Amino acid sequence: MKKATFQFVLRRLLQVVPVVLAIAAFNFLLLRMAPGDAADILAGQMGHATVEFTEQLRREFGLDRPLYQQFFIYMGKLLTLDLGMSHLQQTPVVDLIVDRLPATLILMVSAILLAVIVGICIGIAAARRQGRLADNLISVAALLVYATPAFWLGLMLIVLFSIKLDILPSGGMMQIGAGHEGLAHVLDVTWHLILPATTLGLFYVAIYTRLMRASMLEVYGLDFIVTARAKGLSEGVIAWTHAMRNALLPVVTLAGVQIGHLLGGSVLVETVFGWPGLGRLVFDALLQRDLNLLLGILFISSVVVVIANLVVDLVYGLLDPRIVHR
Amino acid sequence: MRSTGILSLAMAALLAGVTAGNALAQPKKGGTLTYTYHPEPTALSTIATTAVPVALISTKIYESLLEYEGAGLTPKPGLAESWTVSPDSLTYTFKLRAGVKWHDGKPFTSEDVKFSIEQIALNYHSRGRTYFGNVAAIETPDAQTVVLRLKAPIPYLLRAFQPSETPMMPKHAFSEQEIAEKKVRQARIMQEPVGTGPFKLKEWRKGSHIILERNADYWKPGKPYLDQVVLRVMPDGAARAIAVEKGEVDLAPTSALPPAEMQRLSKLPHLVASEEGSEGLGPIMWLEVNLRDKPLSDVKVRQAISMAIDRDKLVDVIWYGNGKPARGPIVSGNPNHFDASLPKFEYNPQKAAQMLDEAGYPRGAGGVRFKLTQNFLPYGEEWVRQAEYIRQELGKIGIQVETQSLDMGGWLKRIYTDWDYHFTSNFTHNYSDPTIGVQRAFISSNIRKGASFSNSMDYRNPRLDELLLKAAGMQDGPERKKVWNEVQAILRNDLPVIFLIEIGYTHIWNKRVQGLITNGISMYTNWDSVWIQ
Repeated sequence: MKKATFQFVLRRLLQVVPVVLAIAAFNFLLLRMAPGDAADILAGQMGHATVEFTEQLRREFGLDRPLYQQFFIYMGKLLTLDLGMSHLQQTPVVDLIVDRLPATLILMVSAILLAVIVGICIGIAAARRQGRLADNLISVAALLVYATPAFWLGLMLIVLFSIKLDILPSGGMMQIGAGHEGLAHVLDVTWHLILPATTLGLFYVAIYTRLMRASMLEVYGLDFIVTARAKGLSEGVIAWTHAMRNALLPVVTLAGVQIGHLLGGSVLVETVFGWPGLGRLVFDALLQRDLNLLLGILFISSVVVVIANLVVDLVYGLLDPRIVHR
Repeated sequence: MRSTGILSLAMAALLAGVTAGNALAQPKKGGTLTYTYHPEPTALSTIATTAVPVALISTKIYESLLEYEGAGLTPKPGLAESWTVSPDSLTYTFKLRAGVKWHDGKPFTSEDVKFSIEQIALNYHSRGRTYFGNVAAIETPDAQTVVLRLKAPIPYLLRAFQPSETPMMPKHAFSEQEIAEKKVRQARIMQEPVGTGPFKLKEWRKGSHIILERNADYWKPGKPYLDQVVLRVMPDGAARAIAVEKGEVDLAPTSALPPAEMQRLSKLPHLVASEEGSEGLGPIMWLEVNLRDKPLSDVKVRQAISMAIDRDKLVDVIWYGNGKPARGPIVSGNPNHFDASLPKFEYNPQKAAQMLDEAGYPRGAGGVRFKLTQNFLPYGEEWVRQAEYIRQELGKIGIQVETQSLDMGGWLKRIYTDWDYHFTSNFTHNYSDPTIGVQRAFISSNIRKGASFSNSMDYRNPRLDELLLKAAGMQDGPERKKVWNEVQAILRNDLPVIFLIEIGYTHIWNKRVQGLITNGISMYTNWDSVWIQ
């Protein structure tokens, strides 16, 4: 790594600290504005609880202290990277997140890779056939997929591939109790990953297809493409080497921006497919007012998003050496 | 292909079932029972929380002193092989079974029983004080004997020893610090259970599944039949239904599927749907009414509202045939306390409108007599549709209703801490005795801010208070039944809540699963006699 790039990364990482802390503080105050707390929910779940019982829970969870004290205790712990205990599960938040984060990352990375690769290829194909039947079909299909809700698409894919054709599992991340190890485990997970990753990724395939197509058309109008054509290079070489690299920047930018969005989308997809990731954990934590767990997940998510954006900035430099990190 | 394999297995099992005939079938050892429920348990002990998902799984791991038979929960020997009750009902002596071992190999003794009641149930179980508040002392003369001395009779004490209500916990698994600092909920055992039950924890992949495996040292010879019990975590209702339909999952207990899906699946030939087996929980739904202000403080108005709601239609249309109209505060499936002579509530909108006229609430501009706000339990779309239906029906008799939506945290606070509502749908359990499940909602001493599922209505009736307290101190029998009959009559007349339906817990299972329904808490028993054909 060049010295300048290294300094850039270091500086960006240092900038991350106040940003992430500010997000955590904001989340804390925002979430505390919602009525009811974890003690109410837990007591409610138990069907019937006396006032004393609920108060006892509140003391156990530290929710009986004044808000400002809770806030400073929480932020103080956060500085030492202690995310506290989940109120409802009475387990360290870090353990719960570590259990779930890998599944979400696998799903997200597969979906985004699928979306970027397929989106770019189809986008280029459409651009090369601008105005022809194939281009129009691709545009219409992209629009349809873009407008389809993920949870519905997921269920339809289950009906088709799992019930009618019976070739893919309907949910879960692995065959329960099979105890696969090594390569067999990887294949098992991949097998279960196909439908959820496709469901999550298709929406973004549509976006990147349209973006890549527009971006390619813009590049096609530039002088150096005219020059390349004049040199007698084949259309394939022009598209895949000259134009693509230049057309990629907007796609990469958008992919970076959308990491946060993708994390949100994974909540629905994980629900439909019973994928054991963070998405469902965050949803349940919210409904149960499990504040520490929720804050922990949001904290980790913000770190993931910030780091993903940093990676995108670095990829810029690879794609376009003229961009210098300062 | 895995799933084809399961399907053909199901077909084979089905054929076998047809030829052998269920009545003649002999229990078979082995096999895995897979069930699904959402949400995932947050712990593996009902001491952490008695929420349904936790009770479903932990009752296979932990046991209590007794087991139960039939819908009325007749006690039979469990970890206690016999018991005696003194004539004044103030001394209970339990003889424990010898040779019972915890999953970690240590012996189960009377010290564990004393600990489980005194330190655990009383301090951490949400109903612990109700069950054992009147226990004066627990003596352990030897390792196999436990004596409970009571301050006053507890009529339902012998029904308190259900695995979800008073699970026996190993004293040696808790540190002194955890007990002293009241940190039992954080103890390791909440996530890594050590019980005496027929199944023990093998694997818990959070968000994915839990596998329980047979306890080879279980104290009942030859039991359990199953090798494994597996919980598959499936957050999406439609996906759960598909898994049951395909045979990937054997059982969806306790209304684990959306009502529309339950109705659809109940018609499939390879599945069984049943509302039996939850009588001991006694689930019931009503409209909780805030009696503090006019016009709802007027009993005539409440009676008119009750008469304007077609409970049969609620069951058929909103709940897809799940449940039956309520006839009072006690569910009709409770053979010990329900007054079977009670008629159904009348549905007569014309008469309801007339009653409102007579009560002094004539129709005003636009035919509106008065306006009310309703809340509903945030348990899913059926509750929203039910609120919509009630709004429409009350509109017909001139009550304009505005519906407000809140999530669980907000709902609990609004109803039980702020008391800031007109009426709301609500859903509670009778449990095994009305003193546990009914008294709490109607006794005036339970009008306390912050107590969930209590008397939020501000209902005060000295006669009812007197009867409830009287019943709480009597042993079951004809005399106590009379007291409960009067309670039911008073509440039906006063309508501090509008009783709607005995909402059914529907269990759906694959026909290859046998021996599932055994008593009024069938899903909360240890499944040691369940087998797969």
